[in-house]
Amino acid sequence: MAHDKLQPQTVLYCGVCGLPPEFCEFGPDFEKCKPWLIKNAPGAYPELTKKAADEAEAKLGDLRLGGEDGADGEASTSKPEDEIVKKLPGGKVKRKEKQEILVEKATRNKRKAITTVKGMELFGVKLGDASKKFGKKFASGSSVVKGPTEKEQIDVQGDFLYDICEFITETWKEIPESAIYVMEDGKRKVPYADA
Amino acid sequence: MFKKFTHEEVSGQNQVKSSVQRKIRQSIADQYPLLEPVLDDLLPKKEPLIVAKCQNHLNLVVINNVPLFFNIRDGPYMPTLRLLHQYPTVMKRVRVDRGAIKFVLSGANIMCPGLTSKGGALEDEVDAEQPVAIHAEGKELALAIGMTKMSTGDIAKINKGIGVDNIHYLNDGLWKTLHLD
Ligand SMILES: [Zn+2]
Repeated sequence: MAHDKLQPQTVLYCGVCGLPPEFCEFGPDFEKCKPWLIKNAPGAYPELTKKAADEAEAKLGDLRLGGEDGADGEASTSKPEDEIVKKLPGGKVKRKEKQEILVEKATRNKRKAITTVKGMELFGVKLGDASKKFGKKFASGSSVVKGPTEKEQIDVQGDFLYDICEFITETWKEIPESAIYVMEDGKRKVPYADA
Repeated sequence: MFKKFTHEEVSGQNQVKSSVQRKIRQSIADQYPLLEPVLDDLLPKKEPLIVAKCQNHLNLVVINNVPLFFNIRDGPYMPTLRLLHQYPTVMKRVRVDRGAIKFVLSGANIMCPGLTSKGGALEDEVDAEQPVAIHAEGKELALAIGMTKMSTGDIAKINKGIGVDNIHYLNDGLWKTLHLD
């Protein structure tokens, strides 16, 4: 794992203002950055992401996820969330949570990575059990923690992004591969099947 | 230094002789030992190394039209922030508290109390007149590169006035100069 030679870090800069996402709040126009941030750097402003996640839950259902559109920002600002909520059949605004699992990798330091699994509970999986299984399978620290959106998630120490996806599909047959999405270090969320 | 920097401030660009190129590489390697192993990638020997002379005795070290390092007069070389973000561990660092961020990003020099308050930190021991990466409370990436006015020991002890001169910061002219054509 360890290289003597320093490896360059890949750095994500805001698609709107060009600053590192964590500095958008001090940039020329934070409001304009927000839609891009929610989509591309959800870790940078947890509260923002939480708010957006709540608003977007209804919208998620009819959106093709992990789209390959490169033009950010504009697309997401053009349609207010309310509009989509109203369009739901029967005029009901009941927000059904989309059954999906997001496996995310974040690098803390150069060497320390953490893989986060969200949404296992939507498939009736007990998070404690899943966490234990992950810990055993990958011989690593694994724990259930409260994530930024107040929901519980599983944090596994180390970079097991794809190994975990594979392990999930092998272990819990009720979870279809198509429900699993991956996200690497603040990059865009993509379906595991395409990754 | 780079608040209003633009292409127009470049008074001349010259491909330097290989002896000068060697000197620049050596000086960067001495200043940032961790960077030495990757200097062959950053400043490949076969690529022409350009030094762009700018106003205020500023020199930019440019490869493939991308500014990578700069220095003032014959002072120590410093990486651009974009390069530093790729190799965040190569510079010594100090940290300002959250309240100082907006001032740093408007180009203000770094006052001692911003470094000695609860959110600030003098993470490394640094002498006076040395380049440092300026980080901020709660943020991962450096937001500026500066030159210490006094040693970190004195910053803590004196705790008054300017501790670090702000040389290059996010969204200044150099940050916006991705290419020099
Ligand atoms: Zn931004």
